[in-house]
This record gives sequence, structure tokens and C-alpha cells, in this order.
Amino acid sequence: MGDKADVWQGTLALMVLRTLDTLGPLHGYGIARRIEQTSENLLSVNYGTLYPALLKLEQEGYIASEWGVSDNKRKAKYYKLTRAGRKQLEREIQGWGQATAIVARFLAPKEQSS
Amino acid sequence: MRKLRAWFLRLAGLLGKERRDREMTEELESHLQMHIEDNLQRGMTPEAARRDALIKLGGIESTKERYRDRRGLRGLETLLQDMRYGVRMLRKNPVFTAVAVITLALGIGANTAIFSLLDSVVLRFLPVENPQQLVQITRRGPEPGNEGNPTFTNPIWEQVRDQQDVFSGALAFGGQQFDLAQGGEAHYAKGLWVSGDFFRTLGIHAAAGRLITVADDRRGCSGVAVLSYSFWQDHFGGAASALSSRISLDNHTYPIIGVSAPGFYGVEVGAKFDVALPFCATAVFDGARPRLDHRSWWWLSIVGRLKRGIGPAQLRARLELISPRVFAATVPANWDIANQKNYQKWVLTSAPVSTGTSGLRQQFERPLQILMGVVGIVLLIACANIAGLMLARAATRQREMAVRRAVGASRLRLIRQLLTECLLLSTAGALLGILFARWGSVLLVHFISTARDQVYLDLSFDWRVLAFTAAISILTAVLFGVLPAFRSTRVSLTSAMKGSPAIDPERHARFRPRRWIVASQVALSLVLLVGAGLFLRSFVKLMTLDLGFDRENVLMMHTEARTAGIPPEKWMATWDEIERRLNSLPAVVSVGRSLITPVSGGEWDQYVQADSPNPPSGTTSDVYLNGISPGYFQSLRIALLAGRDFTRQDTATSPKIAVINQTMARKFYPNLNPVGRTFRLSGDQGKYGDPIQIVGVVRDSKYASLREDGFSCAYFPITQEPGFGGGPNFLIRTSVRPSALLSLIQSTVAGVDKSLSLQFDTLARQVDDSLVQERVLATLSAFFAGLALLLATVGLYGAISYTVTLRQSELGVRMALGADPGSILRLVLRDVVIILVAGMAVGTGITLLSVQVLQSLLFGLPARDVLTLALAAGVISLVAFIAGYLPARRAAKVDPMIALRYE
Repeated sequence: MGDKADVWQGTLALMVLRTLDTLGPLHGYGIARRIEQTSENLLSVNYGTLYPALLKLEQEGYIASEWGVSDNKRKAKYYKLTRAGRKQLEREIQGWGQATAIVARFLAPKEQSS
Repeated sequence: MRKLRAWFLRLAGLLGKERRDREMTEELESHLQMHIEDNLQRGMTPEAARRDALIKLGGIESTKERYRDRRGLRGLETLLQDMRYGVRMLRKNPVFTAVAVITLALGIGANTAIFSLLDSVVLRFLPVENPQQLVQITRRGPEPGNEGNPTFTNPIWEQVRDQQDVFSGALAFGGQQFDLAQGGEAHYAKGLWVSGDFFRTLGIHAAAGRLITVADDRRGCSGVAVLSYSFWQDHFGGAASALSSRISLDNHTYPIIGVSAPGFYGVEVGAKFDVALPFCATAVFDGARPRLDHRSWWWLSIVGRLKRGIGPAQLRARLELISPRVFAATVPANWDIANQKNYQKWVLTSAPVSTGTSGLRQQFERPLQILMGVVGIVLLIACANIAGLMLARAATRQREMAVRRAVGASRLRLIRQLLTECLLLSTAGALLGILFARWGSVLLVHFISTARDQVYLDLSFDWRVLAFTAAISILTAVLFGVLPAFRSTRVSLTSAMKGSPAIDPERHARFRPRRWIVASQVALSLVLLVGAGLFLRSFVKLMTLDLGFDRENVLMMHTEARTAGIPPEKWMATWDEIERRLNSLPAVVSVGRSLITPVSGGEWDQYVQADSPNPPSGTTSDVYLNGISPGYFQSLRIALLAGRDFTRQDTATSPKIAVINQTMARKFYPNLNPVGRTFRLSGDQGKYGDPIQIVGVVRDSKYASLREDGFSCAYFPITQEPGFGGGPNFLIRTSVRPSALLSLIQSTVAGVDKSLSLQFDTLARQVDDSLVQERVLATLSAFFAGLALLLATVGLYGAISYTVTLRQSELGVRMALGADPGSILRLVLRDVVIILVAGMAVGTGITLLSVQVLQSLLFGLPARDVLTLALAAGVISLVAFIAGYLPARRAAKVDPMIALRYE
């Protein structure tokens, strides 16, 4: 576990929104697993921080929740993206793209001075 | 927006807590189960699967706690928890709580009461449309000091009304007292003369009927009356039938056309009107010389509503521009040339009026500000007391604090808890204080009202008063709470858990801040005592001042010939007959009458030209005048120094004569015998009138105010001033209490003419009423200084008792080793002396620096009066010493065995 990176502050919300966008309604455990899988197990989600984050997104109206039944007939709380959440996701993706582009420019190979 | 929504949901998260908790548990539970099943599928043993799932979740309870943090508002939840705990702690100590709440209630109540008065007198807006657009017109003369005068004549008002171009509407008003009764004892209503546009410009609506309009205010009108809402309620029970009836004012009746909106009492703060009449109706009251055309009858105030976009600079420029025209068109013809020239140099100025015009404000703004400072200091002293109590309580709660720290509460958390308790205390104090303030402010208004000036103030608490009270209660909580909270949470866990050792140096040190608190109380009390002492001594000086007349046992009776319908040619005969009959009553010593009574607020003055070499001229030749009957000097016991008094032989047709006072004799006839000499009064067209011969000189006596010093005054026989003879004041010196004679006098006057209505007062009360400001300041500042002294004494007593308790075992050891009670006494008293000396030194410094602001309100003594300071210091030293001596003596008397066994 030691060489796995923790989820950076602020990116967890983006990952949750993206996960719900691609997979549709999902319970908390499913979201956590999906994030780990997508990162090819390079990221370790601290499940303890996931639930407060889900609550925050729900309070902000980006996701909604309801009780449902899981594949193996277990009662679970399912989260799904709202319309506002979809918009927010677009905004965050855009912002993220900009941020990485800027960082990438800084990290680009040095130009030879003539 | 999202943030707000989230915040709102979190607030809602405080509710339905249990259901949400259950859901959260279920969700986490289902998460764990899924994780465990996954792990099992991957081939883990059941124990390992469960362990791994739990580790990855990071502990169920701490996850739940984090979840709860996010769900609700943690701060608010903690606050509610703290408050519940605080209430429990306060209920466990009912005596402490009661003392603290009552102390705070007194302090906060006093502040709220004074502030609500200040609010209604100085700060509150008039209940009219856009009050901030209103300005009052004032005038400024060329000579220094003559500025801001707000009274005008009707000719000036008409000029201003017609010439101005800065106001969207202008209005004028003046007051007059009307007699509602038709004969017998007078019943007065407050009348308000209003220009036609008055109500429309202010934006006042009618509660019933209609209000006075421009159409009602035409020269030669018969007059209509508008009632104030409260008068309508009090006198007509709010009945609609009032609108079809008539009201009798000074024996003239007017149809009532409407009632003004509730809450509107006029433009003057502190006064309220009962009935409003248009200007044109004054003609009926004035007779031959109507005030509408009178060029030196100053009786009205002018207010304008600024047009949009007119700033202060433009307003000033426009007023200055029209001033020459306005004053040139209204020059009083009877003034002398110099004064007429002067008059034309006057300039119209303005003052904001959004909070109303008020003589009351001029009189009480400064005293109220000073009282505000005084009650502020009282509250500080009260805070210091409670801080002292909290510190003492901190010692008893030391174990509690130590235990809570030991089980993991952070110090910040404990401080928060303690401050919440303080806030609870101050809130309880504020609520009770508002109750006190309700009673207090009504009492205060009653206190500043006099027989002549009934003060009416709208004291309903507005947002400003409530905000003020809320602010000071929070401030007090911080003031008395912060230091004890920090002190009492600084606990040494080990010593507290063990139970403190016999002599704990740490504990002794804890006494030190308390000592400073008490010293500051002593200092602040000294400031208040000095202030109170100054006001009291000023007041006593004024009360015991040599007035030049004897105020005791003089009944004053006022009547009006016009309202009784007595024709002018019969006035003198009627008054003489009344005087004669009253004089024959057994308990009446003497009777005189005059146009103006002493310190009544009435004034009559004119320029005088004396027939002496180099007589005073211009404004220095101004002399107070009065018309009196032969019994006047005798009734007031004003001593005749030279010449003769008036007699019945001095009539309207005999040569014009006068009696002058000492100051006039000295000023106008230096080194001469004034008796036999003459002077002239300034008259029409700057000419002087006929010579008036001086027949006597009397002692100086106060004319307009007790504070005046050495004004020239001349008296004329009342028979030679026929123009003013319609409303005389009888001054009746009695050998018994004046009030005992009222009915006898009434029936005696009725024997002469039944239709005369009479108004009674005593000279003593009139003099007292002229000192209302001084009395209010002296009484209230003495009351609050007493309160402050009491609080400081309690604080000192508490502090010394507390040290004595703390040091009981130490003192016991000392005594067991042979210290005599005297040395123990000295040991404890040393603390008292240190506190006193430090407090006095600081207090004296503050006093000397701040007391100068009181100077303008004092009479006959400097603000830095050494005697007053010494007296105040003496009183505090004595009281404080006693408060310190009692616990010290207890300490000295203690049995060493008991003291040693203690703890």
C-alpha cells in the first residue's frame, strides 16, 4: 500500500462526478472501487473520506441519493448525477485541463539557448 | 448560491438527527458487507476480510464523526451543547447567578434607559415622509455669537415662502396654549399654528376626516381645527362624531375637520400638539396688532423639504442670495436706525431637521451624553464585579476543569464553554435590564417634565435601542468573561487532581488580577463621585442662591381678559378689584401683579437712553422691563433701596415713572443719584420715546434665569402699560401653605367675574422648574455614583474575603507561631491600602483629565474643584476601608487550630 498515492485534495469530487457520469447510479463502495480500478490501483481511496465528500456533493446539489438494492441483493444507498452535477463536471474537467496544460508547459524540456 | 444551499441543508441537518444517524450507520454497514464479500471472493479468511475492510474504512466511529461534522453545523451544535451545560451550571449556583444577573440588569438597564432617551431626543427620525430631506431655516446676524436662531416673524416667512427656489415645499409652525374651559379653572390644550402646506409637505395623512390645506389658510378665514390622534382618543374616545362637532379654544369655537395620523406629534421633539389651526386663525386671537403683519413678533419656525439634487452648498448659496431681499422687505419700523441696518445684514442659514427641531434637545443633549458616559462607567464597574466573582468561582471549579482537560477537552474548548456561560448571564441580564429600562425611562421623562413644559417622548424601543442593548450585552460578556476564562482554564493537572497543597503559590498569584480589577473599580467610582459631587454642589449653589426675592409662600395666578370677554376699558378696574378683594382675605399677606413673573421664560427688553453723561448705547443699553402693580415688591419681598414704590396714584394719566434696579443704577448713572433722573425707551423709526422719570431703586433680583448675573432692569406701573394689561399674573403672598387657599381664591375671583379662567402655580415651583436640567443631572449622577460605589464596595469586600479564605491556613500557621491578631490585621489591610492607593491615583488622573467637559454645566465652581475631589476621595476611602476591614478582622479573630485543620 505504501507506494500508492493518496487522492489529492479536491480531485476526489471530480473523480466521483466522473465515475457517476460514466457508470450511472452507484453506491459508495462501488464508487471507491471504480476509482481504484480506473487508476489501475495506483490510487488508494480512503473510504473514510469518501462518505463526507459524497454528503458535501449532495448538499451542493450535484448528486442525489436514494436507497436501492445491490447486485447481490443487499440494501445500499445509490448516488446519481444531477443536471447541475453534469454542468459542474464539465466545468471541472475544463479547469483541470487548463491546470495540467499550464503545469505541463512549466515541465516541458528546456529550450536550448542560442 | 450552492454554498448557501449547502449551508441551509446543514442547518436542517441539526434536525431529525436520529433518523439520519441510523441511515448513515446502515450505509456504512452495507459498505462494509460489500467489501467483506469482495474480500472473501478473493480468498481471504473471514477474519482477514473483515479486518481489511475496517482498516480501509478507517474506523467506523471516526468516519461517522467526520460524516456528522459535514452533515450539521458543528459550531452551532457545540454551541447548543455548551448552552445546555451552561444553564445547568448556572442553576447549580443560584446565588451566584442571581447576583450576577441582577448586577448586569442594573448596568445594562441603566444604559438602555439613557440610550432610549438619547435615541428619542437626539437620534430618532421624525415619523414623516423622507425626513432626511427636511431642513430648518435659521438666521445669522453680523455680530459674533448671533447664529442659528430658528424663530421668525410671519412677514419673513411669507417672503421666504415666495422667494425660495430650493424647496419642493416649505412649511411654518408656531405653538400656543389654548384654554379648553369656559370659565373656572383653566384646562389647557397644546395648540399648533400651521401654514397651509404643513401636513402636505411633511407627508402626513389623516386618520379621519381631512387635514388643513392651503385653501384653509387664507387671510380672514374663520378657522378650522385638526386634532392629534392621541387628543382625539383621550378627549373624544376616538369617536367619529367628533368630526361633526366644534372645539372651544380660549372661548372661540372651531369646527373639527379631521385627525392627523397616529404617531405624529409635530415637528418638535419632546412636545406634542393637541390641536392644529391654520395661521390665518391667529387674527381672531390677536386683536388690533395681528401677528400675521407684526414685524417683530417672533413666533414661528420654518422648515423646508429640499428639492432633489440640491446639496448643502447650493442651499447655502441660494439662501444667501435671497436673504437681502427677504430682510429688506420686512424691516421692523419701530427699531432704531442702527438696529434696522443691522437687521438687513441678517442672512438665512439652515440646519438639518431629520430628527426634528427641539428646545428639549438643546437643553438635554449634553446632559444625556454625560449621563450616557456615567452609566457606561457603572456598567464597567458591574462587569468588574462579575469578573471578580467568576475568578472566585474558577477556584472552586478547578477540579472540574482539570478533569475535563484530563479526558481530552482542549483548552480552547473549555474557554469557549466558559464564555458561553458568560453570554448566558449577560443575555439574562439584558432581558431583565430591558424591563428595568422600560420603567426607568418613563420615570426619567416624568422627571424632566415641568408644570409648564410637559415633555412627551415616543419611547417605544426601535431597532436602534435593541441593537444597542444587544451590543452592550455581548460586550459585557466579553469584558467580564475573557480574563476569568483564560485564568481558570490554566490548570495544573496534577496539583488539581491531588487536591491543592496547603499553601499554593499558584493560587496566591491568581489573586493578583482580582486586585487590579478592584483597584480599577475604585478609580472609576472616584470619577463618578467627583462628577456627582460637582453637579450636586452646583445645584445646591443655585438652590441657595440669593434670588433677590423670596420664593416661599407665593401663589401665582394667571388669567386672560380676552377669553372671558372683558372689554379693554374694564381691565384695570377688574384687576384692581380682584387685588382688593384678595388682599382682604385673612391668610393673604399682600397681593401684587405683573406682566412677567420671575424666571418664567417670559422676557421683555428694550434699548434705553439715559440722561446721564456718556450713557451706554447700542446692545449694551439693553434693559429688562416689567410692568407691576404697587403690591409687587412687597409680595416678592424685593427691598426698596432709595426713592419710593409705586402707589395707587400712579395711573395711566399721571407722569410716566419707573423704578430701576441696582445694576441699572450703577451702569447708567455711575456716581449719580438716579432718583429724579430720566431715561427714554427706543421706539418707532429709531426715535426714543418720552422721558420716564426714575422714582426709586430696588435690589437686584433674578429675571430670566438663575444663572444670570447683574442685568439691568426697570419696572413701570402696570397702569401705564395698557397694551399688555389683558393677561396679568397675580402674585399672592400667603401666611399659610399657598395650596390651602386655592378654593377660597377661586371663589373670591368668581365673585368679581365668573367667566375668568384661572391658572395657578407657586413661585417656588417655578424657580424649581427653571432648574430642571441641573436637578436631573445632580440626582441621576448622584444615584449612579452611589450605585457605582456600592458595586465597588461589594467588589472590594468580595476580593478581600476571598484572599482571607485562601490564606486561612497560612494565617493559622502565623498565629500558631506567635503572630498577634494586630499583625494579622495589618497584613490583610495592607492589601486594602495598596488597592485603595492605586485606585485613587489612577482615578484622580482620569478625573483631572476628563472633568473639564462638565464645566459648561456647572455653576459657581470650577470643574477641577479641589474640595469636591477631596470629599469624593474621602468618601471612597472610608467606605472601602470598612469593606476591607470586616474580612480582615475576621481573619485576625480566627482560631489557629481551626485554620490549620482546614483542608
